[in-house]
Amino acid sequence: MASVDAQIKRGSAELAVLALLAEHSLHGYEIAKQIEAQTGGVLRFDMGSLYPMLHRLERKSWVKAEWQTLPNGRRRRYYRLTASGRKQIAQLRAQWRAFFQALESVTRFQNA
Amino acid sequence: MPDWKQIVRRNLPILTVYSPEFTEELAAHLEDSYEAALGQGSSAEAAFQQTIGQIEGRCGVWLVMRFLQEELMAGFIRGVALPGLLTSAAACFFYRVLELDHIQHKVIWLLGGQLPLWWWCLLPICGALGALLSRRNGGSRLQRIAASLLPSWVKGTFILLMFVVGFTLSGLVNDYQLVSTRLESLGLVPPGFVIIPAAFSLLGAGIAEVSTKKFRRLA
Repeated sequence: MASVDAQIKRGSAELAVLALLAEHSLHGYEIAKQIEAQTGGVLRFDMGSLYPMLHRLERKSWVKAEWQTLPNGRRRRYYRLTASGRKQIAQLRAQWRAFFQALESVTRFQNA
Repeated sequence: MPDWKQIVRRNLPILTVYSPEFTEELAAHLEDSYEAALGQGSSAEAAFQQTIGQIEGRCGVWLVMRFLQEELMAGFIRGVALPGLLTSAAACFFYRVLELDHIQHKVIWLLGGQLPLWWWCLLPICGALGALLSRRNGGSRLQRIAASLLPSWVKGTFILLMFVVGFTLSGLVNDYQLVSTRLESLGLVPPGFVIIPAAFSLLGAGIAEVSTKKFRRLA
């Protein structure tokens, strides 16, 4: 059960980050804040979860990172979705949809 | 504005050595975090404490552990396990050859036991082989180090387990001589077959790393 729990957490976090990056390039802090804001604080990333995950996504070539200098002279590492990442997000969405439909058919949580 | 790069370097020295780029990225995150806290009306001191809390103590340890875990486990089979097996196989091969050729008697005596000096001298080759295969398979720097150290890891874990089991058993049968023997062997075996071999393997991995870089620069 513990491994399923870990897999769900990891999978949902990856989907959330990829979905966010599908809209526009963001740096780590913006990703964390936007996910927190959009989920009403239900999903939160600390640095120990966020950056290793971003680097994992980068290693899988689903996202590409590059340093950009902001107008105030600060450097930030922006992540953007790659073509391979776009394919992946479609697959992940389909998997999650199937997962929730299966869960819903058993638990009827939408009627609860 | 505090110098967040300096603070990250001071608090997470392992990450700084391993990945300066990651250090800069974390510093940028803390900078934004600090400014956001100030923007929400926190005092400079409160904002600083809130921000630095993200890399201090348990959070810092967690961050380093997660980073190293990701680095090590991504592509573990190709980056660590297979090259590590090559290192182990080469180390075993040399050990057997030395035994067959009766060179093994050329050992040094330490703490009342014999340590395989010639074998140690050949271990840099094994470490270099593991590191090179790991590099070829796209292993990260940490994975290359792990691949060259795999035999020592395995042996170290095995010895530790043997010791714990032996100690527990001897406690059960109340045999103090066995405990004493175990303690004595723990003094000799880990340096001879774990720590020193690890150092020699690592030396080989280091030489392979430097040579590869020089070779690439020349090419």
